[in-house]
Amino acid sequence: MDPMPRALKTLNWLTAALFVAALYMVFIYAPREAVMGDVQRVFYFHVSAGWVGAVAFLVTAISGAVFLARRDPKWDRLAVASVEIGMVFAFINIVSGAIWARPVWNTWWTWDPRLVTATIMELIYLAYIMLRQGIEDPDRRARFGSVYGIVAFISVPITFLSIRFFRTIHPVVIGSGDPTAEGAFDMTPRMLQAFMFSLLTFTLIYVTLLWHRVRLARMTEHVEERRMQLTST
Amino acid sequence: MILQEAPADTFNYMVLGFAVILGTMGLHVVSLLARFRNLRRDLEVLDEVQAGEAAATGSASRMRTSR
Repeated sequence: MDPMPRALKTLNWLTAALFVAALYMVFIYAPREAVMGDVQRVFYFHVSAGWVGAVAFLVTAISGAVFLARRDPKWDRLAVASVEIGMVFAFINIVSGAIWARPVWNTWWTWDPRLVTATIMELIYLAYIMLRQGIEDPDRRARFGSVYGIVAFISVPITFLSIRFFRTIHPVVIGSGDPTAEGAFDMTPRMLQAFMFSLLTFTLIYVTLLWHRVRLARMTEHVEERRMQLTST
Repeated sequence: MILQEAPADTFNYMVLGFAVILGTMGLHVVSLLARFRNLRRDLEVLDEVQAGEAAATGSASRMRTSR
């Protein structure tokens, strides 16, 4: 197996440094929110995790389309790797949102359109993983996975736009202004800077994790090929 | 939270929120590292098996030529 590329090593350190800086921005640089108090700080990573989830599922859909066009397995590896990371961050988004909601909405969970669509999106991608595990033939698995990844992506814009389409108590971060939203707040310049920095940091975390996850997939295939060679001799 | 004079005391929820965020991210990284380690071990085992087979094939052919 190839040793870790120098660019990836540099990316590891850069990501770690940015993550520490993001923690500083969130806990020290950004002021405490005047009404919600400390729990509002969860918002910076909550939204960033949701952003990474959406980007990861977009990458899966694009990779799936490219795989169907070119039939190069590297695009399938990228799609699977991206789904795994997307699921982790979508999970963080949902659970951190529930923790934020407890003191602000006075409940862990409510059947709000955003919460429901986000959870359905997570379950759709969980089904993607299960579908792939149920197919033995690698080519068939990649083809089915690609088509599923493209179709499943419909859940992402639905989740994003659900708070604009339906009546909801979920705050709208981008283009905020709905006075009925429970927990909505105006960001001070420092809050906005912490938020943008968190988005940047989480995007970089995604890229770093994706690179590692793709390398892991390549290594898994290499081990499988070696196994097959040994059993066939 | 209406008519409150000071921010609500939600420190514990913040701690819980970041514990979940950092914990989940940490678990994913640990899972990646564990999978890399397992694959490296598998490769080592495969190398050993292959070397053993090569040695066995070599000694068998040597025995054949010596006869």
